[in-house]
Order: sequence, then C-alpha cells, then structure tokens
Amino acid sequence: MTAVLEVHDLSVAFGGIRAVDGVSFAAERNAITTIIGPNGAGKSTLFNLVSGLIPPDGGRVVLDGVDRTGEPPHLMQRAGLGRSFQITNLFFELTVFENLRLAAQRLENPMRFLLPVGRSDCALTRVDELIARFSLAEKTSELAGALSHGEQRRLEIAVALAAQPSVLLLDEPTQGMSHADTADTSKLIRGLAKDVTILLIEHDIGVVMDISDRIVVMHQGKKLAEGAPSTVRNDPAVKAAYFGHA
Amino acid sequence: MRDNVTAAPVVDRLALAMRASHVLVAIFVVAGLVFATVGVAMKDTFFLRLATEALIFAGLALSVDILLGYSGLLSLGQALYFGLGAYVAAVVLKEIPSFWVAMGAALVASLVVSILAGLIANRVRGVYFALVTFGLAQVAAKAVYNTRALGASDGMIGVPIVPIDLGVATVMSNSPAGFFLFTLAFIVVLYAISAYLLDTPFGRVLLAIRANERRVPSLGYSTRNARLAAYVLAAVVAALSGALYPMLRGFVSPELLFFTTSGNAVITVVTGGVGTLAGALYGSVILTVLKSVIGSMTEHHLIVIGLLFMVTVIFLPKGLMGFIRPSIERLIGGGSR
Ligand SMILES: Nc1ncnc2c1ncn2[C@@H]1O[C@H](COP(=O)(O)OP(=O)(O)OP(=O)(O)O)[C@@H](O)[C@H]1O
Ligand SMILES: [Mg+2]
Repeated sequence: MTAVLEVHDLSVAFGGIRAVDGVSFAAERNAITTIIGPNGAGKSTLFNLVSGLIPPDGGRVVLDGVDRTGEPPHLMQRAGLGRSFQITNLFFELTVFENLRLAAQRLENPMRFLLPVGRSDCALTRVDELIARFSLAEKTSELAGALSHGEQRRLEIAVALAAQPSVLLLDEPTQGMSHADTADTSKLIRGLAKDVTILLIEHDIGVVMDISDRIVVMHQGKKLAEGAPSTVRNDPAVKAAYFGHA
Repeated sequence: MRDNVTAAPVVDRLALAMRASHVLVAIFVVAGLVFATVGVAMKDTFFLRLATEALIFAGLALSVDILLGYSGLLSLGQALYFGLGAYVAAVVLKEIPSFWVAMGAALVASLVVSILAGLIANRVRGVYFALVTFGLAQVAAKAVYNTRALGASDGMIGVPIVPIDLGVATVMSNSPAGFFLFTLAFIVVLYAISAYLLDTPFGRVLLAIRANERRVPSLGYSTRNARLAAYVLAAVVAALSGALYPMLRGFVSPELLFFTTSGNAVITVVTGGVGTLAGALYGSVILTVLKSVIGSMTEHHLIVIGLLFMVTVIFLPKGLMGFIRPSIERLIGGGSR
C-alpha cells in the first residue's frame, strides 16, 4: 500500500489551546481513513492544516510525495486535494449547476480561463457526471440556498469532488442528515473510494465502523490511537475517552 | 450546442442574464442612434454634448459595477481612475494632439496605478475596502488640487480639438453628433469587453468571490489575484472613459477626482441595477438628465439625486435594469444554455 497523504508531527495552537498537538498518520491510496474523536478534539482543525487554510506551527504535510507544508489552500487544491466543510459552505445565491460548474472549472485547460464558460466542455461534462452521481438532476436550476439540508450536504460533497482530487477530505458529510440519507451517503462515500483517497471525519459510529479502512482517534489535539476498525473499537484508552462519552 | 446527457434541460441563469443585458444595451444603442438623428436634424449641440457626457460617465459607472456587481467590492474612489485618465489625456493632448497616444497613455497610467493601489486596497474587504479606495482617491485629488503644473484648483484648460482617426473615417472631437456616436461606440465596446470577460471562468470566479469568498480558495483560485484582476480591469475601464472627457469639454478640473464623482457613479449603478452592466448605461443617462434638468431649475439638485437614490433603493432594490431584465430573460429564455 502507498500513502498518498502523510502528516508528520503536525501542530497548531490557538492562544493557549493546542488544538492539534503532534499528530502523525498516513492515508493509503483509495482507502477511507476516518478521524474520530469527541467535540473539540481538533479534527476540523487538522483538516484546516492539511488543506492549507491554517498554517501549522510545526510538522509537515506531504501530498503525493511532495512536502506541501504551509502552502495556501488554492495551491493545495491544485496539488490534488479537495475538501468539504462541516458547516455547509456553498455558493448559496448561485444555482446547483453553477456551484458544480465553478467547482469543476479547474479541470478545464487554463487557456480557456478567458473563453466563454459555454465552451468549457471538460467542466460541463464533469458537471453532468456529478449531477447523475449525486442524484441532483431535478435540482440543477435551483439555488443552492433553496435546497433541503440533506441536498446541501450532498452538493457539498459533489463540489469537493468536482475537480477530481486525488485526496478528498470530508468533514462530517452526514451531519444533520436523516437516517435514510445517512445510509445512502455512506454507501456513496464507500463507492467514491474506488478512485479517490478519502479522509473522513464522522460522528456516526455505525457509519465509521462500516465504511472505514482505518481509524485515527483524536482527543484533546493528540492522536490517541490508530488502527483497523476492530482494533480501535477494543482499545481501552479509546473506550474511556470516546465511546465512554458517546 | 452539446448533446444533452441529463434529462432536464439546464438553464444557465448567469449566461441568460448576460444575454438579456446585451438586449438591453442593443435597445440603448438604437435609442442613441435615434437621438443622434433627431439631434442632427434639429441642429442641436447642447443636448448631444450632454448625452456624450452621460456616456462618458456611464463608462465610470460600468467600472463601479464590475467591482460591485461582480466581485462584491464597493469602491468609493473610482473617480481616481476616471480623473487619472482625464488628466493624462489632457496633458498628452496639449503636447501631442493624437487621440491614440492619449488613450494609450491613459491605459498605461491606469494599469500602473491600479496594480500598485490594488495591492494596497485588496488587503482589506468590505467597509475597509470602501474606505481605502475612498482614501486613495482623496489623496490623489488633493495632490492634483495642489499641483500648479496641473492647473491646481482651476484645472487645465485649452485641450485642443483632436481628430480621431478610425481608419475608415475620421471624427473630430468637437463635432457634436460625430463625437457622440464615437463615444457611444466606445462605451459599447467597453461594455462588450467587460461582459465578455465576466462570462468566462474568470468572471465566474469573481461571482463566486461575491457569493462566498471563503470557499473560493478550496476551488483552486487565489482570491487575491482574482480581486486584483477585477480591480485593474475596472480601473482601465474608468480611465479610458475619463480620457474622453477633456476631448468633449476641452478642459479637466480636480472635481473629476472628487468624492462627488465617485459617489455619483455608485448612485448611477444602484439606480440602473447592480450587476447588470446595462444598468450603468441607463443609470448614467437618468442621472445626467436629472442633474441638468433639475440643476437648471434649482441649485439644490443634490437633494433630488439623494431622494432618487433612496426611492430606488426602497422601491426598486435591484435597480431599473434589475426590475426590467427578468422580463427580457423570460422573452429570450427557453433556448440553449
Ligand atoms: N480558528 C480558531 N481560533 C481559535 N480556536 C479554535 C479555532 N478553530 C478551532 N479552535 C479550537 O480548537 C479546538 C479544536 O476545534 P475543532 O473544530 O478542530 O474540533 P473538532 O474535533 O472538529 O470538533 P467537532 O466535533 O465539534 O467538530 C477547540 O477547542 C476549538 O475551540
Ligand atoms: Mg469539527
């Protein structure tokens, strides 16, 4: 197995709080690596460090063998990283179609950056794929802001996936979804792992155990444990820190 | 255009809205041609020149709309570039009476200044961006106001009449109908260039910045570069429009750089319709007509403009074009995406 994304000794502190404190792990190609941990454990902050939204105080982020520590988010995206957000982060006043087209735009030849959007064939083909895959065909002309919560969460994943990243970071994609939607979405995510390496943050422990290839447990900024689902489930320290609260 | 893979036809609202703007601008041009014909028939000078001025200020409003309507950036200092273009053109024309040299100089000057000022202004957003752009324009206005070589508070007079060599024909800048038609064509070209650029992936990035700037970097775009590009584009549009001013009036004055000029351009865009581009053209005509008609009756025309602004904001929050354009969209919609 090869690691597509490696994180070495990553740290950041906000004021006195060490939100992420010396975390190291690797995400294997086309596997689902899930980060779990109680509220405030530092999971989203870890994503922000990996995706370049926050520069780390220390440590390294290696993507496809290249050290990309401290690179800004738009360069991380171009290096092959896509991400979704815990709090739905879409272009609410634009349509579903336009959200996807924008997100897929990077696939287009850069020479077409100043050609009419209607000529962006690669992007438009990709949008059609996404619309089909995420069952958004009925909603393409609706404003993202007018979608139901579940639809918005689905679009959030589609937008993150649009530019065909090699690594996809999903921050609580099923957050606030109904049971049925959660089940569908976890199946969808499992399917995505066929062609993309996934780093997932998920609270629903059923989903976690079901779809993860590997689990990283965080607690108070530190990595508490790491391993296959069955190993992590039976780890006494994890039980005390995490499942104890759940 | 493209085979339909999905069942439901997708309407690209943004492209449709842009096409509706083109229709509105086409109507504007036809109205302009009719106006010019009537003007020539009646041997008019005053109204043709007033209309030319409206068109020149429409270019400034267009530049405000590129920033406000497409990138969500409120500039309270676009007069900086309008005045820059006007002064550069005036200075050049007094030395070398060549239209193209004057326009080229205005273009280069606005590129240089806007890249430098843009690096400063784009460090901040929202209200702070408005204040920084306001401040930059004030500094420039005061500097010009106190520079003897630029005529200080009096401005510069005696800008010569220039022939505008268009290859097929030559228009004299003092020909009321000729220069009106030339300015109409020129502003339409500025509109067309802006509309074209805003309908590209670049333009969509700007719209994305307006909609949700924080999300844009994760799509692979540097928001700083995109905002700077929009700022420079807007500056060039303002400066090229401003460069026509001394050709029309034969003089430039520091007022061109003052806040009233920047503020009027914002009012023009809000009245005409933010984010429509066409609104800048219509708005400028409305504002210029009101200013001169009411200005000839009372000194307090600013009160009327203030009232107009408030009435529009309250009753036509999307401006005149924002109100009309959806009907045009329905008329031309239903076609391809
Ligand atoms: N930008 C910030 N400034 C200051 N403190 C922050 C910032 N972002 C996160 N924190 C703090 O860092 C800690 C970790 O937060 P983080 O959002 O990463 O947790 P999380 O594991 O994602 O939690 P949740 O499960 O609730 O989403 C918390 O104490 C949080 O208050
Ligand atoms: Mg979180």
